[in-house]
Amino acid sequence: MMAKWAHRTHFIVCILSLILFFLVACASPYRASENYHDPDVDFALLRTIAVMPFSNLTNDKLAGERVRNTFMNSLLSTGALYVIPAGEVARGISRAGIDNPWTPSGEEVSKLAAIVGADSVITGVVNEYGEVRSGAVTSNVISVSMQMIEKESRKVIWSASTTKGGISVWDRLFGGGGEPMEDVTQAAVDDIIKKLFY
Amino acid sequence: MTLSKNFSIRTAVLFFTILFCFSSAAAQNDAGTDAVGDPRIGGPEQLKIAVFPVFNLSGSPAPLAAISRLLAEELTDADATFIAGEDLDRVIEKYRIRYLGGLDGSTAQSVRQETGADGVLITSLELYDETTPPKIALTARLVSTTDSMEILWIDGIGLAGDDAPGLLALGLVRDPRKLTGRAVQHLALSLTNFLSGEGRRIDSRAPREKFSPEILYHRAVLAADKTQTVAVVPFFNPSARSFAGEILALHFIRELWAHENFRVIEPGVVRQQLLKSRIIMDSGISLAQADLIAHYLHVDFILNGKVIDYQDYRGDRGTAKVNFSAELFDSVSREVVWSVKSYHAGDEGIFFFDWGRVNTAHALAADMVQLAVKMIE
Repeated sequence: MMAKWAHRTHFIVCILSLILFFLVACASPYRASENYHDPDVDFALLRTIAVMPFSNLTNDKLAGERVRNTFMNSLLSTGALYVIPAGEVARGISRAGIDNPWTPSGEEVSKLAAIVGADSVITGVVNEYGEVRSGAVTSNVISVSMQMIEKESRKVIWSASTTKGGISVWDRLFGGGGEPMEDVTQAAVDDIIKKLFY
Repeated sequence: MTLSKNFSIRTAVLFFTILFCFSSAAAQNDAGTDAVGDPRIGGPEQLKIAVFPVFNLSGSPAPLAAISRLLAEELTDADATFIAGEDLDRVIEKYRIRYLGGLDGSTAQSVRQETGADGVLITSLELYDETTPPKIALTARLVSTTDSMEILWIDGIGLAGDDAPGLLALGLVRDPRKLTGRAVQHLALSLTNFLSGEGRRIDSRAPREKFSPEILYHRAVLAADKTQTVAVVPFFNPSARSFAGEILALHFIRELWAHENFRVIEPGVVRQQLLKSRIIMDSGISLAQADLIAHYLHVDFILNGKVIDYQDYRGDRGTAKVNFSAELFDSVSREVVWSVKSYHAGDEGIFFFDWGRVNTAHALAADMVQLAVKMIE
């Protein structure tokens, strides 16, 4: 009777160890936060923002323009900030003589902000935009990173990145091509705005 | 017995004759009252309208002369005198009128002086595709030649041969001429109704709510008791479609014009001012440019935007797509007071047999813009 009990206990211990082993294997590696807020800055004081043209590292020529357009409209629609219209930013870039508006220097940011009346300037990079393929399955993916530079201190006061879309288990099992690109873009923009405010 | 029966029939006929005469007289009186109330429509003296040749915004070759001719034929029943063909060509040549997609002050004056026209009918061809099933999109507007250069009427239509294929595709239109005829007929009927005073201010059906804008920023802009003037500047167009900026501006003009609180400046006048002020838009309108436009055109608002996609497709495989953003600048506060972003595809929410599918970017954009403008209130 005792031998049978001991045998059962050993069996349970083995099963629990196995479960623990798999659980440990499932743990994701440490990942640095995709969001940075300067602790010394009171973001509530920022009222007017200029969004620079986004740097486009993808094959789609319009990717930067598409993401920037969605981002500017979404940010304005929050009602928390006033976003300077793209045409006015273009005039500011021209007047400030910024040769490379995708990666402006601190001095250029300060100059531009003074011309267009912005408290800070947002720059961005579109790292990935478009279709990804894995075997016979395709889906849409976007990867964007942004940073906010303050006018006076010329320091980066906020930085965030996000990746949305890609091939899900559902896509692998049933196909379907994933979400439309505009929906994926909107999801990414919503995520990055959430990171700005929270 | 027979005598009394004959007498009663005779009395009845006499009674009906008198009744008919009275009702005809009453109807004529009604028409007369309408004409006095609104001099723009169906007056005792017929309006004289110059019909400009069709202006091509489709970016591809199209039988413009044939469409112009068809439009002139369809307008024969309208309550107006139309000036077209050689009479108008002479004026166009004499005054070297090069731009026929709009009406500016000097052109209006020349046309009025030479032909005595009270208005000019400007028709823009947005899409013409003869591939089966064919597709066509047209927008037409009637602009007064007086100093105010009011837009009196505007309407548009986008048709595809497979809009209503029906059972066993019996309703499929394969002949582009037939489809063109339908589109022109629709516009002619709408204008005829307007001129006779029977038509509504705008003959647009209820939009499909699924094409509502995705992002909206809105501040209270409209004064309910005041008519405010708005200038629609051609949209910045980074899309692959030629003239998409002008086409989308026309959609907005149509919907804003339908709004009772807005007076929309004729796009030809806006274009003339942009040229005069040497305004070249780089990714949108700047505040300095907005100030210039507001100053010269005396407008309360300036509408501008960006067209990211305005996509039609050839043949029967593909999807119409429209993606745009629009901003309304207040000329006093110099700020954006309304902003919208909308992107949709014609096959959204379609599950069975393509039922409810929108086949042209024009029809899709018309719904999207109508829903967007509704939100200005």
